[in-house]
Amino acid sequence: MAKTTIEVLNGNRAASYGVILSKPHVIAAYPITPQTPLIEYIAQAIADGELDAKSLEVESEHSAMSALEGASLAGARTFTATSSQGLAYMYEPVYRASTLRLPIVMNIANREMDSPQTLWCGHSDSVGVRSAGWIQFYAENNQEILDTTIQAFKIAESKEVLLPVMVCYDGFFLSHSSEPVEIPNQSDVDSFLPPYQPNQAILDPEHPMAIDPLTPSSLLTSYRYKQVKAMEASKEVIKNINKEYYNKFGRNYHGLIEAYKCEDAEAILVTTGSMTGTARYIVDKFRLEGNRLGLIKLRVLSPFPAEELVKHTSQAKAIGVIDRHVQFYSGTGTAYLELKSALYDHESQPIVIAFIAGLGGAEIGIKELQQAAKTTLNASKKNEKPKENIWLNLQGGSK
Amino acid sequence: MKKEDLLSPGISACVGCIVESSLRLALKVLGRNTVLAIPPGCMGGTGVVGWENTMGTKIPVFFPLFPNTASMLSGIAAAYEYQGKKINVVGFVGDGGTADIGLQALSGAVERNSDIIYICYDNEGYMNTGMQRSSTTSYGAWTSTTPLGKKGKGKTQNRKDMAMIMAAHDMPYVATASPAFPLDYTKKIEKAMKLKPSYIHILNPCLTGWKYPSEKAIEVAKLSVQSCAWPLYEIENGTLKITHKPGKIRPIKEYVETQGRFKHLTEEEIEEYQNDVNRKWIRLLNLEKIPA
Repeated sequence: MAKTTIEVLNGNRAASYGVILSKPHVIAAYPITPQTPLIEYIAQAIADGELDAKSLEVESEHSAMSALEGASLAGARTFTATSSQGLAYMYEPVYRASTLRLPIVMNIANREMDSPQTLWCGHSDSVGVRSAGWIQFYAENNQEILDTTIQAFKIAESKEVLLPVMVCYDGFFLSHSSEPVEIPNQSDVDSFLPPYQPNQAILDPEHPMAIDPLTPSSLLTSYRYKQVKAMEASKEVIKNINKEYYNKFGRNYHGLIEAYKCEDAEAILVTTGSMTGTARYIVDKFRLEGNRLGLIKLRVLSPFPAEELVKHTSQAKAIGVIDRHVQFYSGTGTAYLELKSALYDHESQPIVIAFIAGLGGAEIGIKELQQAAKTTLNASKKNEKPKENIWLNLQGGSK
Repeated sequence: MKKEDLLSPGISACVGCIVESSLRLALKVLGRNTVLAIPPGCMGGTGVVGWENTMGTKIPVFFPLFPNTASMLSGIAAAYEYQGKKINVVGFVGDGGTADIGLQALSGAVERNSDIIYICYDNEGYMNTGMQRSSTTSYGAWTSTTPLGKKGKGKTQNRKDMAMIMAAHDMPYVATASPAFPLDYTKKIEKAMKLKPSYIHILNPCLTGWKYPSEKAIEVAKLSVQSCAWPLYEIENGTLKITHKPGKIRPIKEYVETQGRFKHLTEEEIEEYQNDVNRKWIRLLNLEKIPA
């Protein structure tokens, strides 16, 4: 490994290094808080000649994703980033990027969806588009944002996958908070991530092709089936690329999930994103007090790592899933629903508790995670599930 | 014109549809070194992109989404620019996909100086979905969403002037065209290939939506120009030139009477239409005198 540098970077800056090192050809983006500094950093890199890319400062997020789809069809490696309302406005071409099997990479600085008006963190934006067929990563810290952004291009462009990838990170908690980040060397990244070789649908007058003719249901159904198979196949690809990255750069994100002290755990917390760091501390603290508490960090929500989760939770008596969003239709988060669904087909039937926390920038700190840990441990001891889903930041408690 | 026909002979457009011929003619001029976007609309619906495993053209062709033809084109153009390729990046889009749902993307793409050629085929409504009104539907016209009735009198608003809206972007080339004046049209496409981004707005009468017999398409189109309802002009780097001045201007009544969609109009309403056409024609003559 060639020489690297360590700098104190906020999440957006770390993301920009990941993008610049990956050498995309076309970037199209529209500014929105808290993503904005990321696209400013990239614009500066292009202005300084550090990144050779065509930049389209588009008039909307809908056009950002549309322009990238055109560029990707013309054979370019492409990147954009957005947050909340921008992602919602983009939904139509977002769905299309995956169904056209275009390896676009998009960073999401997570922000709660309106209403009421808010600028702060919540996963309702990216979770809301989870049905659109993208691979979705959730980063724990700024180093992981940088590393996952580089990995994202390689995963998206793998011929077994050919799906777009979102790298999500918590708005403000990560996007605007600084910590030391190791910046890989360009030559190392170049050998990890070779130049993009498009080999699917391509707009090229030398080889005329019709893209998206009117398609009968029989053919469409087979496309859907193949896309589902590609999403399934991405699990192995994500794990392998993680290993390859670990071998090259020395940082291991354990593929789809990271199980922390789960081997003998009676109670396990499941987290996503930046809350994980604090949850690790809580696990250590509770362990010192003799509690058999473990932690699982979900690195991807799509594809959902059902098998891995079941494998690492089979011995536990209770699992507390903390979601940074709520689904109005179920009153719980998505990770909770998916985990319960995954457990249904297995012998182990631990108690699963839904925690809702961190909406609109609310804190998921020591206090909140302590409460989640205690509740989950109590449930494991008493073998009794709390009667209600638990809202960790609700003033006056849930009633 | 002996140039190669790049559009399939089996396009399932309505009998007598001249949008198909406008596209066929455009592709003859544009040639094989072209990538074509056909969004939802009449040409998408008739199979220009293709059906199942077949394609409707001999050049690369794709379906953009309804609102994003121009933004997809601008991304394609950016990728080709990065790769150092010179390829005609072309959209052939209806009035709904241009003046209504696609306007923001088009305005943005042109403002960013994207290397694209954008042709709007305007048949004054959402004809593919059954003749609903659009923002380019003429005042007074019947459509399925501006029906006649006890209170309904057809469309009660004026049409949006897309060519002038595009000209306000200060873009290199804007032109209007008509299928009744094919040489004027093809010359404009040749210019549009050199002066990019470029915009051509071709008024294509629609036999089913405008309600005239299928063999009358060219006649109706010709009258639209001769009556000055649809003047032919181009704006090249800011200089406006009227490319066809009718020797004898025909009354708007003659144009209106060719089409069933106007048959409910009263004499007074036709006179109002005539006054509006006169006012806009005089404005155009004056604009021609203004240096860029």
